Amino acid sequence: MVKEYNIVITGVGGQGILTAANLLGWAALKEGYKVRVGEVHGMSQRFGSVISYVRFGENVYGAMVPEGKADVIISFEPVEALRYINYLKEGGLVFTNSRPIQPVQVSMGLAKYPSHEEIKDIVEKNFNAKYLSFDAESLAKEAGNIITTNVVLIGALTSTPDFPLSSQTIKEVIKVSVPPKAVDLNIKAFELGLSKAKEML
Amino acid sequence: MAKVSNMVLLNKPGEKILLLGNHAIARGALEAGIALFAAYPGTPSSELTDTMAAVAKDAGVYMEYSTNEKVAFETALSAAWSGLRAMTAMKHVGLNVAADSFMSAVGMGVEGGFVIMVADDPSMWSSQNEQDTRVFGKFANVPVLEPCSVQEAKDLTKYGFEISEKYKHMVILRTTTRSSHMRGDVVLDKLPDEIVNKIRRVGKFEKDPKRFVDIPAHSRTFHPKILENIEKIREEFNNCPFNRIEGDGKVGIITSGLSYAYVKEAISWLGINNVKVLKLSTPYPVPFGLVEKFLEGLEKVLIVEELEPVVEEQIKLWAYDKGYTIPIYGKNIVPRTYEMDTKRAVKAISKFLNIDTPIDFNALEEKYKEISSMLPPRPPSLCPACPHRNSFFAINKATRKNAIFPSDIGCYTLGVLPPLSAVDTTVAMGGSIGIAHGLSVSLNGATNEEIYNKKEVIVATIGDSTFYHTGLPAIANAIYNRSNILVVIVDNEITAMTGDQPNPGTGDTPHGPGKRIPIEDVVKAMGADFVEVVNPYNIKKTTEVIKKALDVDGVSVVVSRQVCALHRVSQARKKKQKLPTFRVNPDKCTGCKVCVTTFGCPAIFWDSENNKAKIDPTMCWGCGSCAQICPFGAFELVKEAK
Ligand code: SF4
Ligand code: SF4
Repeated sequence: MVKEYNIVITGVGGQGILTAANLLGWAALKEGYKVRVGEVHGMSQRFGSVISYVRFGENVYGAMVPEGKADVIISFEPVEALRYINYLKEGGLVFTNSRPIQPVQVSMGLAKYPSHEEIKDIVEKNFNAKYLSFDAESLAKEAGNIITTNVVLIGALTSTPDFPLSSQTIKEVIKVSVPPKAVDLNIKAFELGLSKAKEML
Repeated sequence: MAKVSNMVLLNKPGEKILLLGNHAIARGALEAGIALFAAYPGTPSSELTDTMAAVAKDAGVYMEYSTNEKVAFETALSAAWSGLRAMTAMKHVGLNVAADSFMSAVGMGVEGGFVIMVADDPSMWSSQNEQDTRVFGKFANVPVLEPCSVQEAKDLTKYGFEISEKYKHMVILRTTTRSSHMRGDVVLDKLPDEIVNKIRRVGKFEKDPKRFVDIPAHSRTFHPKILENIEKIREEFNNCPFNRIEGDGKVGIITSGLSYAYVKEAISWLGINNVKVLKLSTPYPVPFGLVEKFLEGLEKVLIVEELEPVVEEQIKLWAYDKGYTIPIYGKNIVPRTYEMDTKRAVKAISKFLNIDTPIDFNALEEKYKEISSMLPPRPPSLCPACPHRNSFFAINKATRKNAIFPSDIGCYTLGVLPPLSAVDTTVAMGGSIGIAHGLSVSLNGATNEEIYNKKEVIVATIGDSTFYHTGLPAIANAIYNRSNILVVIVDNEITAMTGDQPNPGTGDTPHGPGKRIPIEDVVKAMGADFVEVVNPYNIKKTTEVIKKALDVDGVSVVVSRQVCALHRVSQARKKKQKLPTFRVNPDKCTGCKVCVTTFGCPAIFWDSENNKAKIDPTMCWGCGSCAQICPFGAFELVKEAK
């Protein structure tokens, strides 16, 4: 039983972030932890930048991960990992889906989108952290549906050595939370994420 | 992860499940045997209302989406007068709408328990201001309960009904965005038999004009009675099971609601254990007996609460009268604006105790400032295929942007962002029409002048739900007083921003069909000088109709009707229908950028390598609007199925 484990999930509204957070929350509950999930609703969800928090352990009370305390950031979009990088602890870990989603401001030429190297550099240098970027969407497509990208990323998270929840528990939660027809595809997505991250770590 | 309605109706006492704060409140209300629930949706309160809508039938509860918070309040109030347990829910600014009835009804009391759930939004994640409902409670002399966790959100709701009934006094349950939208573990209690057996309860109203008719002679007796009641409740709160003293030491921290959670985390992060904590879930009225006990032996005290110094002011005033001399810190250390969090609690407590913070927050902030300066902003935006984008685009075209654009509260407020930039003002629900009228009479000459000298074109935008909420009296006023404005009612046939609730324009209710009230009939009946309905997916036609409407003196109304794209897409996905998508033909795209600089569908992005527009197929919802606005016909339908 860990005292406290903090996950930050970020991305663009509509990417399935809430579902991912909720899934991890249930898995932690199943393993007997005290759980807190903090999420964004309403207007911010409309294609804006969003952040969710998943926390479990004896020592969690609030819904938000304190700044500088996230064990891991899972990002559905590269630049969104940077936007919330202040939550990451020293020596933490970042998983990101590698496909950028250009904000309208960038298309209009009012702002610039940083390069992949810049993003990686900032994370590694400033936070002494591991930055793992991979095409989670392709893996989701390989599993059968791009909407399982969130499960691919959860699979990746599960493969980190000190992750407190067992992949067995997470799979059980996936099985009861998705529609029966989608179970196999989601489990496959989970496994693909898991082995991809193992390869990279 | 069962369906929310199933979880909330689960009759397994002792079972532990993960619930959203708002779901837990719904559960608490059911455990308390609520009989009626009425509300107008508003983030962050909406999931409570939606949950009640989902379970009402199976729980024997009457539930309605009212047209605004005042009406919802009155509906629930009369149920409580009739001896039923009743509830209404709203966001903080909703209480302003209900305030007229709310303030007057306090002294009339209730028979059945009446809990008013009000969700505040510190940091204004989706609101127009940052108001602290605890102040409102104090103003109105209505007790305020404030949970520190999801479990407590459920239990406190139940407690609220008990207190309300015991003292025949309405009670506010105040949450915040964070407590409403946090999930946590909750242990369920028993559901009452009436709820399990779906028995719809019937109340009985006992006439008592001295109590229910607030003519001055009657209401004069209210105020002293209210104050007396509040003092009794203050006594009661000394024994409130959700208020308690924890730990021991020479220094003390008093904290209320969710701030307690941050204080607990801060204390553990700082590794200190010699502090005494007074945890309050009743910020108003503060139970002074408990405070007195807490202060015993303390050398100094810090009060940690979010937003306004509500607890602080009560305690300081009381302490002064009692002759206390111990230093009491509060808003001089704890921020008064924006959301509380663990970092803020750590900083305040470190300052209070004169110790270092566990990590160097200032250095982190410096580092972060530098990083964030190179990030492109990503504000929320109108969805792909959103009909509002087309309405704004047509308005911009018809007016050549040469107009003033008062707007309102809803998804369409996002029209403020570039490239549309077609929102100049928003104040509050229904405010667009009032503001437009005011501008018309201020800028275009006095109302009773015979000839309007048309100096300014004023185009107000307002949504369907907002129109019924508070737009109705405003448009009556504008028509009556001979405004010269165009009101575009962007009717997406749903209350979209808060999560697809029905309204009079849709005619649906949670129990099945209600009676639909078409907007155009209403404004025609009121005497608008021009009324036409358009489909904004036809941009050319919409622009033409708007132009025509602008030529009419008086109040013109264009109802721009097309169902919310998000709603349409989610319905289609449920039915497993495939949506068409569009793509850019690179041979036809000249790189003129019209699509990104004037229209801005988020599915269209700029490929700077080739200097051409591109469509992200995962985001395109196939409305075909881009094909209508591209001067070179570069957007085309993808023929093969996805
Ligand atoms: S939810 Fe509906 S109304 Fe709101 S932005 Fe999306 S499509 Fe438009
Ligand atoms: S068809 Fe064009 S305007 Fe409509 S959603 Fe797709 S890209 Fe956007």
